[in-house]
Amino acid sequence: MDADTEKRATGGRDGVERAGYTHLARAVLYREYLVFVRYPANAVGGIVVALFFFGVLFYGGRMLAGRALTDSIEGLVVGYFLWTLAVGAYAAISNDIGSEVQWGTLERHVTTPFGFAPVILLKGVAKLVRTFITSGVVLAVMLVVTGTTLQLDALTVVVVAALAVTSVLGVGFAAGGIAVLYKRIGNWLNLLQFGFVLLVSAPAFDLWWLRLLPLAHGSALLQRAMVDGTRLWEFPAADLALLVGVAVAYLALGYVVFRYTTGRARRLGVLGDY
Amino acid sequence: MTTRGREVDVGDRASEGARQERNGAAGPRGADGTATATPAVAVDGLYKQFGSGADAVTAVDGVSFAVDRGSVVGLLGPNGAGKTTLIKSILGTVRPDAGSVRIMGIDAREAPREAYAHVDAMLEGARNDYWRLTVRENLRYFATISGVDPASVADRHERLLERLNIADKADEPVRNLSRGMKGKVSLASVLGGGADVVFLDEPTLGLDVESARTFQAEIRRLAAETGLTVLLSSHDMGVVETVCDRVIVVSDGRIVADDTVDTLLGPDGSHTVRLTSPAFDRERVAALRDRVAVTEVERLNRGARIEVTTDTDGLYALMAHLREHDVPLSRVRTVERGLSDVLVDLTTDAGEG
Repeated sequence: MDADTEKRATGGRDGVERAGYTHLARAVLYREYLVFVRYPANAVGGIVVALFFFGVLFYGGRMLAGRALTDSIEGLVVGYFLWTLAVGAYAAISNDIGSEVQWGTLERHVTTPFGFAPVILLKGVAKLVRTFITSGVVLAVMLVVTGTTLQLDALTVVVVAALAVTSVLGVGFAAGGIAVLYKRIGNWLNLLQFGFVLLVSAPAFDLWWLRLLPLAHGSALLQRAMVDGTRLWEFPAADLALLVGVAVAYLALGYVVFRYTTGRARRLGVLGDY
Repeated sequence: MTTRGREVDVGDRASEGARQERNGAAGPRGADGTATATPAVAVDGLYKQFGSGADAVTAVDGVSFAVDRGSVVGLLGPNGAGKTTLIKSILGTVRPDAGSVRIMGIDAREAPREAYAHVDAMLEGARNDYWRLTVRENLRYFATISGVDPASVADRHERLLERLNIADKADEPVRNLSRGMKGKVSLASVLGGGADVVFLDEPTLGLDVESARTFQAEIRRLAAETGLTVLLSSHDMGVVETVCDRVIVVSDGRIVADDTVDTLLGPDGSHTVRLTSPAFDRERVAALRDRVAVTEVERLNRGARIEVTTDTDGLYALMAHLREHDVPLSRVRTVERGLSDVLVDLTTDAGEG
């Protein structure tokens, strides 16, 4: 092997092709897929826990509220589905950053030429895809257990749910950034996910300002889509615009907080500490 | 008496020979022996202080240096000297208060993505990859993260795995490997992305002797053949002496020495010899002081042990003098100062200064 061939084969930049965002997205998604299929216990555990709490909610509620709960079971199922999605997306970003710190891999993501935030966002999207799968299983089991029928237009459900949860990704970004700065605060930030219950069940059509909060407007639209059968193109343009606007706004806000907190962590020299 | 010398054995000579062989290409020159216009890493007036007021700690205090392409530079210093902060400041994971960093001529503050596209780092010893992924999957993933299409470096990955003797573990999840193997995987994933500059913090920590030697050989090979620039921080002076062209010693956040290993170890032709004799008494030692530099004297029950430093002619003259005066020598040892001795001297002097 001559020197040039050796160089290409074992080191140096010669003969190396640059990776684009497509390569990055594929790598991040593929890693998530590998972990998902290779260690299914985590996913199965998450599904079991989610179904357990739903069982407590459903059977406990039926004992206490009787027919009143049965009449509103579609709303409960849709809301719970969205809540599991939201919790998955939130935990994906906020917890993942903490894990990267512990694994010593955070610095390598910080120094990537793609930029730290895009990589973390893609990781969040990868986790969101995974969460869609597990939440889909949870939804299917809930429908079977409760004997409920919903309108499941895939395009409408995926688009509305994804946009609703995008705002939560923004919150997760901010929480992840705060966790980088104040390491041990992670467990407290996890309590935020219980606040999502309020947002999912918020009466967004009754109080207009609630629509500006993350999840609330998306939850209301998802209820219409899955319970009433409203298709994506049947929603008023203003509602869809607001859904997109809220998603983008919270994502951007979360990104700004993330940038600020990680920048401060760099100044304090605590970025990779745990 | 505190003995700060290192008694030389045959094994040490091998690494010394390798070091001397390299020395011609060391210093301000690239791997091809020609002066390079743009250093791989150029640090200028880097300053970082943590805290404020009375609690302020200056971790990096106006550090400036340049590292030429294809060279291997050791960053040494006692714990708390500021090495890690310095490395992290260069990498941008710690934001310096002042100063500039240029990677391959690119200002890391103005264009961090472009600058750090040339860089990879192994900061936490063995754990800087994903243990749930296989070795090969880690290499592919981190190559992508470092901005390289993994398909274009697949051959390189295979070669690296072979050279590091972990090819047979390529499809094994990292978590199943021994600590030494994990260290190799970590190194492979750092080198596998084709970075021009790599930072290695305690890269041989936890490696067995054979693995550490493989690592050293691989680093030298990559630097010589591919122009890879390496900045490594290690408390293993053997690794530093064997691998590094040049050493930067940091103490209290400042550079207290920046030179080749050989220069730091002392001028060529200078010998330090430890002589033990029952005939060494106060008068005789005083007489010897007139001829050579007696650096240490240790009184024994019978006679004394002295340490003298002189050049080759002085050594011959000393031996002739001792023979002429019938001074019996019960033991003669050549003492060579190691890098750890130099490090202690430099950092102690700096601390006292």
